Amino acid sequence: MAYAASHDAHDDHGHHPSGWRRWVYSTNHKDIGTMYMVVSMLSAVLGGGLSWLIRLELAEPGIQFITDFQFYNVMVSAHGLIMVFFVVMPALIGGFGNWFLPLMIGTPDMAFPRMNNVSFWLLVAALILLVLSGIVGSGVGTGWTVYPPLSNIEYHPGPSVDFAILSLHLAGASSVLGAMNFITTILNMRAPGMTLHRMPLFVWAMLITAFLLLLAIPVLAGALTMLLTDRNFGTAFFKTGQGGDPILWQHLFWFFGHPEVYIMILPGFGIVSQIVSTFSRKPIFGYLGMVYAMVSIGFVGFVVWAHHMFSVGLTSSTRAYFVVATMVIAVPTGIKIFSWIATMWGGSISFKTPMLWAIGFIFLFVVGGVTGVVLANAAIAVSVHDTYYVVAHFHYVLSLGAVFSIFAGFYYWIGKMSGRQYPEKLGQLHFWTSFVGVNLLFFPQHFLGVQGMPRRIPDYPDAFTGWNMVSSFGALVTALSTVLFFYVVYRTLTSGEKCAANPWGEGASTLEWTVPSPAPFHTHEVMPKIGSQPAE
Amino acid sequence: MSDDGTQGLRRRNRGVATMLGGLVVGMVGLAFASVPLYRLFCDVTGFGGTPRVGLAGSSSGISDREIEVRFDSNVAAGLPWVFEAELRSVRVRLGEEVEAHYRVRNLSKTKTIGTSTFNVSPNSAGPHFVKVQCFCFTEQTLQPGEEAILPVRFYVEPEIGSDRDARDITAVTLSYTFFPAKTGAAAPAASAVAALGAK
Repeated sequence: MAYAASHDAHDDHGHHPSGWRRWVYSTNHKDIGTMYMVVSMLSAVLGGGLSWLIRLELAEPGIQFITDFQFYNVMVSAHGLIMVFFVVMPALIGGFGNWFLPLMIGTPDMAFPRMNNVSFWLLVAALILLVLSGIVGSGVGTGWTVYPPLSNIEYHPGPSVDFAILSLHLAGASSVLGAMNFITTILNMRAPGMTLHRMPLFVWAMLITAFLLLLAIPVLAGALTMLLTDRNFGTAFFKTGQGGDPILWQHLFWFFGHPEVYIMILPGFGIVSQIVSTFSRKPIFGYLGMVYAMVSIGFVGFVVWAHHMFSVGLTSSTRAYFVVATMVIAVPTGIKIFSWIATMWGGSISFKTPMLWAIGFIFLFVVGGVTGVVLANAAIAVSVHDTYYVVAHFHYVLSLGAVFSIFAGFYYWIGKMSGRQYPEKLGQLHFWTSFVGVNLLFFPQHFLGVQGMPRRIPDYPDAFTGWNMVSSFGALVTALSTVLFFYVVYRTLTSGEKCAANPWGEGASTLEWTVPSPAPFHTHEVMPKIGSQPAE
Repeated sequence: MSDDGTQGLRRRNRGVATMLGGLVVGMVGLAFASVPLYRLFCDVTGFGGTPRVGLAGSSSGISDREIEVRFDSNVAAGLPWVFEAELRSVRVRLGEEVEAHYRVRNLSKTKTIGTSTFNVSPNSAGPHFVKVQCFCFTEQTLQPGEEAILPVRFYVEPEIGSDRDARDITAVTLSYTFFPAKTGAAAPAASAVAALGAK
């Protein structure tokens, strides 16, 4: 083994705070990571609950139980905001990032542990503000994109939108501080011998994600501030009546929003790379290609934003540019997909639960990616604009792609985090029920979209009944599968088998598997020396 | 790790964090700078149907090709005015300078001030639609019951015939919307034009 683990390097005893102080005052990357995971799971129940209410309403034509249509808009908006900012990001970045980034690069903790604590609690404050926005006034019925003029004070009087703006400000500040922390840790605190090109792919994914956050979130913060002053202090950034332009909001929002979708998927790429390599018992195929594919996805991700705006009246040459630039992203993404397949090719594959989720991720992400290439065409995008085709596309890459990578990471690392291994049979059952459920749920939405069913409307003509019923049935299967997941968590924590330091065997070659399970409170107090083999 | 090493690491960490903080501040700055930049970009390129403001007379002469210019008028809520074009449309030769008139009347019993926004449709005609003189450059004040004729002088550049995005256009709609003006605050459109005129 390339890594020499020293016996005194890890310490679980004494000198750490206990009781509530351990958590509230925590500066420990593992405890903070755990808290992020808990917040993500709680938010997932909230955001997922909203989506099940939406599917319940849409199960049959006509109005089932929603009499206040603004409330429907609020549910749709809250579902989007919660899933993006309080489920996917906290789980992938705050949770797995905090937990495993220091472990994988062989450093005792993050560069700024106190700032890490601030990042976490800002996120909690942001979540509280977002929940308040739904309780006071009319709620935020703007969609997660908060487009003016709908979000202007004329159409959303009352404090709801202001609460949401401040919530996003805090969530953004939390992410920016976290990103600075990650970058500093990766650049300055790697174990001796771990060059940038020997870092595990998950660490690379986090580095690129952190840079995307640093460049994208401030633009959102600027736009949100303009919206806040438009609403409350009489400015006119987005008000046509006084010389402003609502299209400017769309440019600013999507300059943030498009990198944001890569922020949500790149950590998933990293996790899937680790898992595919581990369970194929092979180093990842084309390591450098994988790294620079992610770098170029991050770079190109900043110059394609207007493909979200094909219907606002861009000139045909502007649209031509954004069509081509968007399609270019399929190239580095294809490099990643084929490298994963090449890693599995000829490998000694064991289909444990994490591997099932990783393969499920690859499959579903390809489906979502293909509809993405379809939507990249401006003419088609105008035709299916604001229909369920778009909903199906981004749920395949996010709800199925990113969320599958979260589950993959959970099953891969829960032994390291809790010291107890998950029950294998139940884990596999969870995978298969989820896989069937989400495909039943989202695949028919492609058909509905092409037929013209609009998003964000609580009713539809009778012609759409069949596939909506199938979709809602899929939501039921997914819901039951999620209940099963929480049972798996319960079984793991209460009666899971004790987990060895490295339960996966020789395929698991990264540094987190050299420390005991559960990872002690202090790890890598003496930095490990890295041998000459690349760490994949 | 020795104390020296720890101190050195702390210093390097602070250095990296400071640079990253600078990056964040810079991006916030760029987000706000995008507002004047975007307006400048629209004024200069005619992006999004922003008509250009220019001097009298097309530099490329008058062509034989004709184009229809339609006139649209709107009044926003809160302004008790009637606002309509004298003609629904005119046919003009490319490069020919034309004056059109709008009629506006204050229905209320108080003095009111309005300012108008303007746009041409389709958007791709924006770069070729040049306004020489327009009531929309300044605020309009109407006494109770007063009626006024508001002139606009414009021409359509002959280059529209060679623009890939605009050559098929046979009709351009010039649209105005009057909004209640905030007393004291110059309309942004008006101030942008004032700045142009000062050059």
